[in-house]
Amino acid sequence: MAGIDLELPAGRFIGLVGPNGAGKTTTLSMVTGLLRPDQGKVEVAGHDVWRDPVEVKSRIGVLPEGLRLFERLSGRELLAYTGRLRGLPGAEVDKRATQLLDVLGLAGAQHKLVVDYSTGMRKKIGLAAALLHNPEVLFLDEPFEGVDPVSAQTIREVLERYTRSGATVVFSSHVMELVESLCDWVAVMAAGRIRAQGTLAQVRGEAPSLQNAFLELVGAGSRATDDSLDWLGGKR
Amino acid sequence: MSVLDAPVGAAPGRAANENLVPVFVRLKLTLLRNGLRQSAGRRAAYIASVVVTLLFAAGQLIGLIALRGNAHTGSLVVLLAAVLAVGWAVMPLFFPSGDETLDPSRLVMLPLRPRPLISALLASSLVGIGPLFTLCLTAGSVFAVARGAAGAVFAVVAAPLALLVCVALARAVATANTRLLTSRKGRDLAVLSGLVIAVGFQVVNFGAQRLGRAGGLSALDPVADVVRWLPPASAIGAVDSASRGSYGPALAQLLLSVAALVALLWLWQRSLVKLMTTPDGSTLAAAGPGHEKARKGGSGLAALLPQGRTGTVMERSLRYIARDPKTKAAWVTALAIGLIVPILNALQGTGSVYFACFAAWMLGIQMYNQFGQDTSAFWMVALTISSTRDAYLELRARALALLLITLPYTIVVTVVTAALLDDWAALPEVMGLSFALLGGMLATGAVASANFPYSIPQEGAFKNVAPGQAGLAWISIFGGMVSAGLLCAPAIAATIWLHVADHEQWLWLLLPVGAVYGALISWAGLRVAAPRTADRLPEILAAVSKG
Repeated sequence: MAGIDLELPAGRFIGLVGPNGAGKTTTLSMVTGLLRPDQGKVEVAGHDVWRDPVEVKSRIGVLPEGLRLFERLSGRELLAYTGRLRGLPGAEVDKRATQLLDVLGLAGAQHKLVVDYSTGMRKKIGLAAALLHNPEVLFLDEPFEGVDPVSAQTIREVLERYTRSGATVVFSSHVMELVESLCDWVAVMAAGRIRAQGTLAQVRGEAPSLQNAFLELVGAGSRATDDSLDWLGGKR
Repeated sequence: MSVLDAPVGAAPGRAANENLVPVFVRLKLTLLRNGLRQSAGRRAAYIASVVVTLLFAAGQLIGLIALRGNAHTGSLVVLLAAVLAVGWAVMPLFFPSGDETLDPSRLVMLPLRPRPLISALLASSLVGIGPLFTLCLTAGSVFAVARGAAGAVFAVVAAPLALLVCVALARAVATANTRLLTSRKGRDLAVLSGLVIAVGFQVVNFGAQRLGRAGGLSALDPVADVVRWLPPASAIGAVDSASRGSYGPALAQLLLSVAALVALLWLWQRSLVKLMTTPDGSTLAAAGPGHEKARKGGSGLAALLPQGRTGTVMERSLRYIARDPKTKAAWVTALAIGLIVPILNALQGTGSVYFACFAAWMLGIQMYNQFGQDTSAFWMVALTISSTRDAYLELRARALALLLITLPYTIVVTVVTAALLDDWAALPEVMGLSFALLGGMLATGAVASANFPYSIPQEGAFKNVAPGQAGLAWISIFGGMVSAGLLCAPAIAATIWLHVADHEQWLWLLLPVGAVYGALISWAGLRVAAPRTADRLPEILAAVSKG
């Protein structure tokens, strides 16, 4: 990472986009207090993440990428565990968990161990755990990676409903179409730096789509494949 | 495409089917060579294991040759062959991913017919340390019992036959259980294998000592009389029979082994064809409606646990002891060894009632590397710890979950050991010492968990430390154990002093004093560990996420 200067507006659906290895996961880990930055300052809802963890940790929900869950708990047990660690009363946790499991289509698998869940189910139970304490800001690292279209649509609906209430969602992705259709604010990262940030229209600029604007920003033009691979699709 | 509906007429397919054996053997050798090329460490480990195996095999060989002529050699060699066969049958269940050439899922897309495929797989199975070791043993066995021309003829056939039966047995078992072994439950089973070996070693040790007392090898004869008719031991038995001149039984025994080989190959082929031509049902089952079993485990217990973080963390810790194979293996090993050492020693009359402290020590080790046991799921804990108080509650709850098992267990082991040795007078002081030691282990375990966390790889039974963190684990456990010993020094010194100064009427005082002292140092340890944990959350997460 080479210094990130990023200011995200509250109450928006924010997309953090960039190619693999751009530093999206690292950025989100530092913002959520899971990775200590060498220097600099991170504030969430006006509170310093490292100096004032009590204020920050109660306000954020996180769905990291590449970290495990407590997979030897069932889906429902995982939510009960998370909710009670967050200090919610048992009855309230039960009520919220039942609703979240229902909405996310996990009610049928709620008593199955998370270790036996599919990728999409894991993302959904992770999302439920992140939403359980009704955070102000939600950080999601690649929430749609490896998720089937049906689950993706469910996650999408839940997130859209959540932002309509005035909450903020920050999510990382490298699927431009998704970001374009979901987000109203975008930050583009490449090689550990922020290349552009602003509303969707600002970042897109003159380009016909976010995909084109993105390729231009990260400096990846389309490679000429005319000469090589000329045998491919030729006479068999 | 599969083995059954492969194109029959296609020239490349037929050519491949005719020369499969050398292809597979070469493939196996190439895989072996490439595996060794990956790192110097792996090469060194492989060469070391070859040398050790060969030395061991040579030792056995010399031992067996030395036994030539002993009246009980016949019994010994058939039992040896039986043990060998059991080993071969059990091995694939615990080390499922040993051999890539033999993994049928990699062969599904190739146009291969079952029969040549089986011969080729069998041939490539014979390449490796295991088969070499087995051949050394079977060769030594037949040499030990073979006498005369008939014996020699049977020996030449029997040694390779026994090896083939062993290898076919292993492959048949592995293939029949592939679905199980590649499922989550199968991998969980493999993780528990360390446990089987640890406890098995103790049992074998005990058995060998009993055998030594019971009058030597003649004790084996009744068992051997049955085993010599069971393949592959019957092949070795055939050599013995032929050497004694009973050719009829010899031929029957040899034919039994041949029949077993044919049957095993047939079974292997059948399950291989089935495996390659039917869809994998394991994921279908996983997608079905959930079973209710998972729910029952903790809900009754949860009602008894305190509210808030304490109860929540305790409940999860206890569930993990029951459900997580790695945690379960560590606990069951600790519980078994903690019981076996004092009690077996007491049974053999060599023990002291002070050995009961071993149980407390063995279980106390479970407090070490608490966060490593969470793996990278520790982020869920880290996100909810925002003050020293949270960290203290987290650590205390984990210690309490541990005490819920450890405390009654320590009492039981101490009482049983005292009862076996009929040394009731020493019970209070030993119990007090155990409590103090347990307190010391909990205190140092909490501090070590905060300062020296390391990753525990989730796959495999024998890897308990991630590469590069072995030093950390040693510091954590051995530094901690020495510190725990030092922390208990006052209790130990008090015990010695009361004995030496002839104040033995006051020894009972050690029970309450030890209990209070243990509780106090645990509390102090948690107090020291809590701020360190709260300050180091990102560092701990990074350290435990390498597995």
